This record gives sequence, structure tokens and C-alpha cells, in this order.
Amino acid sequence: MARSTLFRVLRPLSPRAKFTIGILAFVLPVGVWSLVSYVPAVWHPQIMITDAASVSYLDVGSHMARDAFDSEVADARQEGRAPPKGVRANPIYLPSPGEVLKAFYTSFTTPPETKDGQWLHQSLWHSIRIIFWGYVISSLIGVPLGVLCGAYAALGRVNEPFIEFFRYLPAPAFGALMVAILGIYDGPKIAIIVIGTFFQQVLIIANTTRKVDPALLEAALTLGTRSRQLLTRVVVPAILPDLYRDQRILLGWAWTYLIVAELIGTTSGITWFITQQARYQHFPNVYAAIAMIGIIGLGTDMLLAVLGRRLFPWDRSLAKFA
Amino acid sequence: MARRAALGLILVLMSVHAAGSARAAAPLRLGYSDWPGWVAWQIAIDKGWLREAGLDVKFDWFDYSASMEAFAAGKIDGDCLTNGDALVMGAGGARNVMIMITDYSNGNDMIVARPGIKSLKDLKGRKIGIEVGLVDHLLLLDGLKKQGMTQDDVTLVNSKTNETPQVLASGQVDAIGAWQPNSGLAMKALPGAHPVYTSAQAPGLIYDVLTVNPATIAAHRADYIKLIKVWDHVVSYINDPKTQDDAVQIMSARVGLTPEKYQLLLAGTHLISVAEGKKIFVRADGLGSLYGSTQNADDFNVRNAVYKQPQKIDGYIEPSLTAAQP
Repeated sequence: MARSTLFRVLRPLSPRAKFTIGILAFVLPVGVWSLVSYVPAVWHPQIMITDAASVSYLDVGSHMARDAFDSEVADARQEGRAPPKGVRANPIYLPSPGEVLKAFYTSFTTPPETKDGQWLHQSLWHSIRIIFWGYVISSLIGVPLGVLCGAYAALGRVNEPFIEFFRYLPAPAFGALMVAILGIYDGPKIAIIVIGTFFQQVLIIANTTRKVDPALLEAALTLGTRSRQLLTRVVVPAILPDLYRDQRILLGWAWTYLIVAELIGTTSGITWFITQQARYQHFPNVYAAIAMIGIIGLGTDMLLAVLGRRLFPWDRSLAKFA
Repeated sequence: MARRAALGLILVLMSVHAAGSARAAAPLRLGYSDWPGWVAWQIAIDKGWLREAGLDVKFDWFDYSASMEAFAAGKIDGDCLTNGDALVMGAGGARNVMIMITDYSNGNDMIVARPGIKSLKDLKGRKIGIEVGLVDHLLLLDGLKKQGMTQDDVTLVNSKTNETPQVLASGQVDAIGAWQPNSGLAMKALPGAHPVYTSAQAPGLIYDVLTVNPATIAAHRADYIKLIKVWDHVVSYINDPKTQDDAVQIMSARVGLTPEKYQLLLAGTHLISVAEGKKIFVRADGLGSLYGSTQNADDFNVRNAVYKQPQKIDGYIEPSLTAAQP
């Protein structure tokens, strides 16, 4: 019975099922992660040394492969020396959920250690500003251009082949050029976000525009709409909900360029935190920062989804799947 | 509508650009990155010694290669680099002259071998993970040469320096070449792994320098001379046992390490005072002179096709500013 209600093609879920399954989507991966982290039998390929005893080259807290450790213990026993002691552990590249949770908290509460240093929330805010401006600038040109390319075949033909080509070029490769033009601070970083987002944006929005219902156009023309009005009064309002959804996806797209963008010019934002912590192998902090980006991204998207339902109450697809 | 949007965009771009160039207008702008000899500048910055000396200098923190990009684009006036990389940048068209020496690596750069390999000689016919064309490749060749070996006696596996700890631990190579913290982390990741050759055995193979845009020397000659004087203060502050703890505290905070761990990195770096710097600026063959060391780096770069044309070493070295110190 339960099965037959859950798995029906293109049927929406009941609100309760939707909520429960949504929670499960997070519980399952975290559960797997916890299992790997806390149950030694699952993986734990290394030994963390707790007592070096007679082995001179071991340090307390260092990791070594299990078989190498076993042979050290066997050697020590055979020669009548005190064998080293240790506990099974995962490689330091995979911290446990508990460690990451703790790092999540402490990285916000640790004050900056240098005079000109920044708190983590300041770094995060800096990153958010970079994304915001990159996205706004890209959208200011990309959305109108996309709509025009979609609406007028000639304009589409002029622009799209080149854009189609350009969107494959790796945005970070333009870093040095952007530094030369825009300086070493926020300018080149914003530019990389724009380059990474803009070309996809034009193509996606042009495509969305082309999907406008032809019946609407015919009806409008029959009622005597002039060509200009056809665009502003019919096409744009018709695609608005889809356009809104495209813009949400593109905002996520912009975020994926953040790390490469912030490595250009002076090091700043959340990327400074991630790269520096990774360089010195403080992996719980690295994972915590990655989680922060995920939370900010998902949070914004959920907010925009709610807003979308308010703005476009007539749009069924938003209500169903958002 | 579209026109207004375009206007808005231009305004936004202009304000972003203006913010960048307004900040960049007046002071000398120098780049520095994560290496103990350059993190040392943080002491002068935090203590306010630059302002005390009447200097208007702005230090910007970069990722190492990003600092080279910024210099090449003319966005900063000077940058902290190795002497070999100063040549690389110059060969690419970004003229620069080395005006002072901050330090040389004194053990921080290492060839780390897995347990069971006792010396460089044992590496004959083995695989070595190294970032080809960078300083530790140079270190390896120097070590091999001393054993009467060449690069052909080993197999190089091109690896990112940041990833060398994992590369060595994977067991797929017999040794790696890296600088700190990577070399230390590699030994931690594979207990029993140990250095078979380090930069302490080849002092002066790699000098770390402040190199500047030659066009700025005329206008800022007095400033650079003052800056070098501040550097001397920094070196004595770090080396003096009474103030060393405070110095290490400031430096470790800059990179996010504990002072105890930073002490290890500092131990592998030989900071160069003005008095010592003057001697290294004397023209001579061999690694005791910046001229000899840079010539050696130039030969290496050409041989490894980092660039094609050998560089004119004299044009890269400006000893007069260090020599002008009392």
C-alpha cells in the first residue's frame, strides 16, 4: 500500500511524505559518513599512535598504515622491546562528523589572530558580496540578451554560435588578464564569476524564451498587438516563472566559480580560509567551510523558492516540485 | 531599458575599478605570500615599524603564483619571490630587479625518501614525485650531481607540491621533493620516511628576495633604502631570544599555525640580515653569491625549457640599495 502511493509516475507526494523524505535525503549520507567514521570495522585503514614506546621514529598522534604498524609491533616483541601502541583511525583527510561540527562552531568563535585579520563571518560576507555583484552584473546583460536572442531568430543567430563556443572556455584561465585590467582586489574576482555565469545564462534564457506557448502569440496577434508589445506584454510575462527558475539555477552556477575566482589577486573571503586550512591539513575546518557554502547556497535557494511561489502563484510546476 | 541597464553596469564597473585604483594610487605596493622569510614582514606590519620609518608601503597577501600574476600585470611594485622565479617572470616580459635578500632555505626544502632508502644513491632507477621545473627539482639535480648521478638515473613523476604527502604515502613513488610544510607532512603521513637531501646541504641554491619593478627605483630609492633598514630590524627581532617568542607568535598567527609548529618551519629558514646580505650581493661564482646562484638557476631554467633565452643576470640584480645601508 505504502509502496503504491510512493512510486507513482509524476504524482506529487503528500506533504508528510515530502517532509520525511526530504529529511532522509540528508540523514542517509550523514549516516554513511558516521558509519565510516565511528565504526572501526568499516574502514579505518590506519593506526594513530598513542604511545611510541621503543620505536624512535614514531610520534604520538601521527598516522601509519596498519600493516606497517603490525610489523613494527611484531619486530619489537621479537626483540623483547616495548611495542608501540595505537588505535585504528581514518586518514586525516576524512574527519568525523563530530569533529567537523565542532570545527563549524569554533571557526566562527575564534577571533582573527592578526591585526588586519578578519572574523570568519566577515570573510563569508566578503565572498557573498563577490557572488552577488558577479551575478547581478551578469544578469543585467545576460537576461535581456537571452530574451532578445530567444525572441528574434536573427539576433539569436548572430550571438549564439559564438557564445556557444565561448562557454566552453575555462573562466579561471582569464584570471591573469582580469588582474591586468581590473586590479588585484575584488574587480577580477567578480569578473570571473561574470564570465563563468554569463554565457550559460544567455543560452539557457534564450531557450526558455523559445518555449513560450505559440497559442499565446497567435491570440495576441489576433487581438492586434504590435510587434514591440508582443515582446514586453506577452512573451516576457509568459516566461517569467521559468525565467525565475533559470535564474535560481544560475545563482548556484555562480557559486561554483567562487573558489577559483577568489584565488585571483589578493587572497580573500572563504577561499582564504579553505586553502590555508587545507595547506596545513586542518581538514575538519575545511569540511566545515565547505558545509557553510552548501548551507548558504541551499538556504538562498529555498528562500527564493518560497518567494517564487508568492510571485507566481499560477505556476503549477513551482508549487509541485520546489 | 537596455540602455539604462548598460549605463548601470558601466557605473558599477567604474566604481569597482575606482575602488581598486584609489587604494593603489599613493603607496608602494608589495606582494608577499606563505613562506617564513616573507611572513616575517608581518612583524614590521603589525608593530607599525613601516609607518615609524616614514614609509607608505602596503603589503598585500597573495597565493604565490597569483602574486607573480599581479606583478606581471603591473598592479604591484614589488614581490617576494625566489631568485629563480624572478628570472622566470622577467623572461616572460615582467622586468624586475632584486634589491634585497630575505633568506635562503636552510633545510625546509627536502628530498624525502620512504623507509628502506638510505641515501640519494639508493634512488638510482627509482621513481621520485616532484613538481618539474620548480625549486625542489633544482635541489634534486644538485644532490644527484654530488653523487655523480644525473636526472637520467631516476624517473621523475610530475606531482603538485601540495599533494606530495599523499603521493609518497601512496607507495607508488620511492621519494618526493617538497618544501615545508609539505615535506614535514610527507614524513608524518608515512612514518619512517626521512630526508635524504635537504637545502641545508646546499645553502644559497635558492635565495628568497624582494624584487621590484625597475621603473620604481628612481622615484622610490629612499623608500626602498628605509624598507631594507626595517628588514634588518625584523631579522634581529626574530633572532633575539628575548623577542623571538613574540615574533613567532605574530608569524604563526598570519598563517594559522600554532607557534610551536611554526618554530620548526623557521628553523629551516636562514634569515639574512643586511650585513650578511651585503656579502651575498658581491659578484662571485658559486652559491655563496646571488650572482652565482642566479646563474645556476638560469642554466636550470633553460635546460628544463622553462624559458628559451638565457637571461642577462646582471640586469636582475641591484646591489646598491643594500650597499647603501649603514
